[in-house]
Amino acid sequence: MPQIKIYQEDEIPSPSLRIWQVFSSNPFAVLGLWLVICLLLLTVFGPLIAPYTAEQQDTQALLLPPSWDPAGTVEHFLGTDDLGRDIFSRLLHGAHLTFGMALWIVISALSVGLVIGSLSGMMKGIKSSILGHLLDALLSIPSMLLAILVVAVMGPGLENIFWAVGLALTPQFVRSTHLAVREESQKEYVKAAILDGANPLQIFWFVIMPNVWETIIVQTTLAISVAILDIAALGFLGLGAQAPSPEWGAMIAQGLDNLLTAPWTVTIPGATILVSVLSINLVGDGLRTALAPR
Amino acid sequence: MGKYLLRRLNLFVATSLVLAGVLFYTTGLFPVDRITALSGIVSPSPAQVEQVTELYALNKNTPLQFSAFLQQRLSGDLGISITSQQSVSQELMARLPATLELANVAALLALVFGVPIGILASLTQHRLTQHAIMAMTLTGYSIPVFWLGLTLSLWFGVHLGWLPISGQINLLYEIEPVTGFILFDTWVSDSEYRMAAFLDALQHMILPSITLAVLPFTVVVRITRSAMLNIMNQTFIRAAEARGLSTAKIVLRHALPNALIPVLKHLGIMLGPFASYSIIVEVIFSWPGVGSWLVSGIYQRDYTVIQGGILVVALLIMLSSILIEIVHTATNPISRKELYASN
Repeated sequence: MPQIKIYQEDEIPSPSLRIWQVFSSNPFAVLGLWLVICLLLLTVFGPLIAPYTAEQQDTQALLLPPSWDPAGTVEHFLGTDDLGRDIFSRLLHGAHLTFGMALWIVISALSVGLVIGSLSGMMKGIKSSILGHLLDALLSIPSMLLAILVVAVMGPGLENIFWAVGLALTPQFVRSTHLAVREESQKEYVKAAILDGANPLQIFWFVIMPNVWETIIVQTTLAISVAILDIAALGFLGLGAQAPSPEWGAMIAQGLDNLLTAPWTVTIPGATILVSVLSINLVGDGLRTALAPR
Repeated sequence: MGKYLLRRLNLFVATSLVLAGVLFYTTGLFPVDRITALSGIVSPSPAQVEQVTELYALNKNTPLQFSAFLQQRLSGDLGISITSQQSVSQELMARLPATLELANVAALLALVFGVPIGILASLTQHRLTQHAIMAMTLTGYSIPVFWLGLTLSLWFGVHLGWLPISGQINLLYEIEPVTGFILFDTWVSDSEYRMAAFLDALQHMILPSITLAVLPFTVVVRITRSAMLNIMNQTFIRAAEARGLSTAKIVLRHALPNALIPVLKHLGIMLGPFASYSIIVEVIFSWPGVGSWLVSGIYQRDYTVIQGGILVVALLIMLSSILIEIVHTATNPISRKELYASN
């Protein structure tokens, strides 16, 4: 039975509800959101549901193909690598290394960048310029070079990648926050609030920030996908996570020796990275469309 | 415009100083002797110690040390490589053309294919085409470049055997390096197998340049599309339509020049990620460029190579991003207006 409208006026949806309505009308964005939720759950609970530990070696099953291949078995769902380690379990154990690490890096870079960016955006003149451009030098050093520099000083390892990728991401947050705050603070409604006698802190938090969050949210989703790709790339080059680690990029590097005989040791981790980054980008794209000026 | 150029120059000098400062600071943190980290001389003789101490003002205070460091680096002395004991600047000069060539070919590919596909995506009313193009760009944006390179070389290099997957040219061809740009060198060389060598170099170029072009290609498509969508709704386009101009003329003459402005701007922003990707691509395809040189430098803990490479590459990126910004301002009257208003 179709719904009958009794009242003439429509219910006016709140801004956040409106964003959700636009977002959920795009099926790909919703698919991406579900995938991201699954990834988050796997990051937290992955090690619990993994059938084997990350380092357990099954000497009876070396280089076993995935289970859909005639030679594969269902005990090792995605096959095994050259040491007989179960790839499915390693992927689950690696989720919190690659994906969880990327989240941590983005959260830290976001908080630092937000503080510096909003300070420099609210200030005027030379102070703002110095703060705003302070990290521009870092922005021009590609993240890979920054990682090489960090590794040269601190040696390889997953913890040092935190610094390398974090340092590369922070200036982007600083710059986008700076630009957004600066742009908003020149608008008329801010002037109205100043005339109403609001102090700078109130203006910043209650007047400007609600209009800046949208930019920052979109920037954050972009940064997460960049961080995942960077962590994996550094793991692949051997500058990040080291050999026995189940980090996804490092898994690809470990599978390289058997690329010709056992291509699944490279394809499957690679496809996992692709799917996770793709789902984040789908959500980011959906958010950008939903948050676009109405 | 003069005032604007002066400000850009100012910014370039300031950021380069910060960069040099960062490098100077990290040199002190490298886990080797400071003299080795600065000059690259392993186990120096007493005379060399004295010479290096003199050159880098190591017995003076930190600001003087920094200015001595700046002087050395600006005069082109990047020290010698710790592993090969060759001059770092010479090694760098030998490797830079290969990197620039690969990057330029990839950027050219991205622009040549990206702009028309972006225009197509914005003009077509066919939903399937629109969705296919958007899905393609989103996938291209999300794909890990090292995995893409491996998969491409596995398929086209190993399974199908169509294309070579490592190096710049077959070692059979002995080509005199004139400029270091292999395509140019083989083209102008006067040997009898000139054409064969050129084709071989071209074949070696295909896989690395396609792998590297994927990221800028997707960005160019997306930016061109959104810019075109925006511009085709403007009143001056409607005016052109009202005058009865053909669609091709409206798009090429009136809309495209305006759509290319944001593309140019985003190319400047993309330089950093592009350089990161080119390092990975060079390692995968054993391309003899700066990227693979830097990565082997870090494997061997060659601190002078790391320092010199990072300094030169970062300076190049800063310079080109500022150049792109200047071109952007010069070709775009709207951003010039903002500029004068703020002065």
